[in-house]
Amino acid sequence: MNINKSNPILLHPLNKWMKKKKWSWFPHQIETFHHVRTGSDVVVFAPTGAGKTLTGFINPIDDLIKLKKFKGLHTLYISPLKSLANDIVRNLEKPIKELDLNISFQVRTGDTTPYKKQKQKQKPPHILITTPESLALLNSYENAKEFFHNLKYIIIDEIHTFLDNKRADLLSLNIERLQTFSPNLQRIGLSATLKNKQDAKKWLCRKKPKIVSYENSVLPKIKILESKERIPWSGHMATYSINEIYKEIMKSKLTIIFVNTRAQAEYMFKNLWLINKKKLKIAVHHGSLEKNLRLKVENNLSKGLVDCVVATSSLELGLDYGDVEKIIQVGAPKGINRLLQRVGRSNHNLNTPSKAILVPTNRFEFIEAKAAIEEIKKNNLDKIDLKEGSFDVVAQHIFATSCAGQFNLNNLYSEIIKAYPYKKLKLNDFKQLINLIQDGGYVLKNYDQFKRIFQLRENKNIYKLVHKRETRKYRMNVGTIIENPMLKIKLGTKTLGNIEEVFIQNLSQGDSFIFAGQVLEFQTMKNNLVQVKRSKSLISKIPSYSGGRMPLSTNLANSVRALLAKSNMWDSYPEQITSWLKRQKNISKIPKKEEYLVEQFPRKKNFYTVIYTFAGWHANQTLGFLLLRGFKEFNYKPLGFVANDYAIVLWSLKEVKEIKKILNLGLLDKHLDNYLEETSIVKRLFRDNAIISCLIERRLPGMEKTGKQVLFSSDLIYTVLKKNEPDHILLKSSYEDAKKNMIDYDRLREILKKIDKKIILKKLTSISPLAVPIILEINRENLSKKETDEYILEDLENEILKEANVLSTN
Amino acid sequence: MYYQLINFGNEEFHAYPNKSLYWKRLNTLIVSDLHIGKSISYAKNKQFLPPYDTKEILNKIFVSLDKIKPCNLIIVGDLLHDVFSTLSIKDQDYKNLSQYMKNTDFIWIKGNHDKNIQIEGFKNFTNYKIEKFLFTHIPIETSLFQICGHYHPKVKISHRGKTILKTCFVHNEKIFILPSFGILTGGLDIHSTQISDVLGKNNLSIYPVGQDKVYKL
Repeated sequence: MNINKSNPILLHPLNKWMKKKKWSWFPHQIETFHHVRTGSDVVVFAPTGAGKTLTGFINPIDDLIKLKKFKGLHTLYISPLKSLANDIVRNLEKPIKELDLNISFQVRTGDTTPYKKQKQKQKPPHILITTPESLALLNSYENAKEFFHNLKYIIIDEIHTFLDNKRADLLSLNIERLQTFSPNLQRIGLSATLKNKQDAKKWLCRKKPKIVSYENSVLPKIKILESKERIPWSGHMATYSINEIYKEIMKSKLTIIFVNTRAQAEYMFKNLWLINKKKLKIAVHHGSLEKNLRLKVENNLSKGLVDCVVATSSLELGLDYGDVEKIIQVGAPKGINRLLQRVGRSNHNLNTPSKAILVPTNRFEFIEAKAAIEEIKKNNLDKIDLKEGSFDVVAQHIFATSCAGQFNLNNLYSEIIKAYPYKKLKLNDFKQLINLIQDGGYVLKNYDQFKRIFQLRENKNIYKLVHKRETRKYRMNVGTIIENPMLKIKLGTKTLGNIEEVFIQNLSQGDSFIFAGQVLEFQTMKNNLVQVKRSKSLISKIPSYSGGRMPLSTNLANSVRALLAKSNMWDSYPEQITSWLKRQKNISKIPKKEEYLVEQFPRKKNFYTVIYTFAGWHANQTLGFLLLRGFKEFNYKPLGFVANDYAIVLWSLKEVKEIKKILNLGLLDKHLDNYLEETSIVKRLFRDNAIISCLIERRLPGMEKTGKQVLFSSDLIYTVLKKNEPDHILLKSSYEDAKKNMIDYDRLREILKKIDKKIILKKLTSISPLAVPIILEINRENLSKKETDEYILEDLENEILKEANVLSTN
Repeated sequence: MYYQLINFGNEEFHAYPNKSLYWKRLNTLIVSDLHIGKSISYAKNKQFLPPYDTKEILNKIFVSLDKIKPCNLIIVGDLLHDVFSTLSIKDQDYKNLSQYMKNTDFIWIKGNHDKNIQIEGFKNFTNYKIEKFLFTHIPIETSLFQICGHYHPKVKISHRGKTILKTCFVHNEKIFILPSFGILTGGLDIHSTQISDVLGKNNLSIYPVGQDKVYKL
């Protein structure tokens, strides 16, 4: 866009400051300024380093200066992370202070003191920087309407992180509330580059929707680590390449090593430390570490005081670490967007390329890494699929609304269905959610005298909170993020971070484990505190964190398939990969892009069936369970299965003769309910649903109930409800959640719809090269929790009985 | 019906997977900590648990009574969760109860939750002695063998790298603690101080309750 002399941007209050800094406006900044000025809601797509934050504030600052003595809250800025909020303030401070503009701005998050929050309510700043949860809380106060009625702009930062989860649902409902309070409110979204930009626009924009996009023409330089070592068949720890990774760290000033799980982070850190002859400053960063430890690492990173940080997705978003020279991604990239986000953490200069090295931890990951690099060259990003909003979030929102004052059912409903995720919310479901908040919404009316909200006698459409003290309960339970039961780890008096209760329960006194990069010995557990001391033990466990599994994006999965089939590329791969694929081609087959290879072979008395779906772990796990049932039905006597991102292997006593009759869409329709029932997936999600909808209260610091007990009692509730009221709205909600998130229902359906015509069946006499990785992953039987419990008890009893027999015969 | 044989105080008892205990020689069925109406009591504080616990607990009791036809049913405390609990007992439930009371004596040892509540037809006691056995909610100082409830015992079992927490029957030489018969009731680790203050730490006989079976450790 040309900036001619009449362009309004030249009259912008920040123009002087830009000139002084010898900066010029980015085209997308000028364009955004124009669209917002002319009344559009806008989503801006731009890479990091392209002045995204400032882009959001251009119009608010201009407007505030024009309005001169504006009183009250003018602009709300929503950030996905608390830590980002503070960074925004630092960015905003510079121009406003240097130009001495009469604009006030403050942060409000969970970390803000009650005193400051109170002051903010009495005398709001012009610009408030906050999080979705804090916004929900603000909306639940009685004076919310007065507080927001003059609001001109809402800016959603990193909107791509808000599109497909419950937090997004919560935010969308609260934006609609703000729009009701202040009908002229304009919305500005800031996003990283996205494939389906239209979807982001649909989610956010209402008034004359506009997309502004700025693509970076400088592509990152990404290569795969050229290892002289043997790439393992399976596994995820990259031990083979540790020396080579270390050399890469030495070559650069500052490196971030990204891994996919917290356990990998601890492991990588420990292994680097063992070979750290040059005494490099290496640190570790992940979400379970104590906040102060994390902040220290972040601080050192931005000041360039470390040589290398090993990190999980905890360092993906946020602060600008200008000095990071190189990114090393250890393990599969899992998705194009994710990889780009990570790679973008290095070198925040738009004109020089970011540099990254990928380290595959096994052979399939090599193909995946290669595919990811190809897609990035083609700029083929992942799609973020918008999802229909979850019911439990609406329930929480109803509760919040009642805290702010009495409400009319019809008005609330029409406001909610303006939010994109809830466009299709049925009035009947909504009414059930009102009942859920009122008294649990059960068919059996036992709680008439204990209602939380009640209908006014004179107007049944108006609901009112029974007692003001209930507002406190809402405020203690706000939000959609449910953490696993965690325990604090204490080394002396120092808190190191949080660890999953389940992990600690499996430890005995004296066992050692790695946490925060240290080998620690478990001593005692008291009042939710785990006391540890330093240990010199060489054998140590690494905490595993459930739910940390990253999904393989459909986009990347497709390109892995495509790449695998391109045999003309093979010669450019390392020898070991090439010969692996060539042998596969000779012995069995390399599936074409659209084909589904199924291999069957006998091995150690059992019969094996391997199906290469490339559907990602979630979908494969589900498919494995369904096939197990299908095999049982055909009396093949299946014994178990294992799934990974790429394939499923099932083993059975009898030969599976009719795989095509089983592997089709019918499988899904027939066994899915059964599957959800038996694997306790719905049960687990029910806990989240019960907490988010405020049916049961979440554990808070200082409460004696441990997380395990909350889990336990929500299980009991689930069981009772399932038996007596299978149509209850929360069960429906949990079931929908399971379909949406846990089992990749839609993806599986797509695959099964067309699979029967595309199966390539190979009967082999023994295991194929491609099957080796997944066969190596067979290490445990897949039993449901219930079965596992019984199995453990029985096994233990048998052992004891055996012991007893020995004693009596002696 | 499947049961686990338990020897306590030189008497044979049968432990059932539904968490009841049967003393065959005296044809007496023993249950504990039913916490009937826990849901309604939580509803007072606006925690709306499914209101079906009362119905389910009573049905469980009725099924047992139909099968065993005992002379006595001894409840060793906390039949009810609190004063409000009776609100959740329906007229039909009362009718059924009085039917069963024709053939079975309902002996209600009062617990900490239901001290001052009455239900017609129940015989109320603070504790109840049969031969050398004392039935009481919380163990007291005595030379008798005691059968009690109150603690909702659970046992933590670690085996082959996995840990599970299971409801259990547990006793030492003199004191027997029943698991909770309730539907929405949680539990307490038998190695917690509250329980080990009563039972001690050693020489415990522990019987975890599985799906259809009571195990012996």
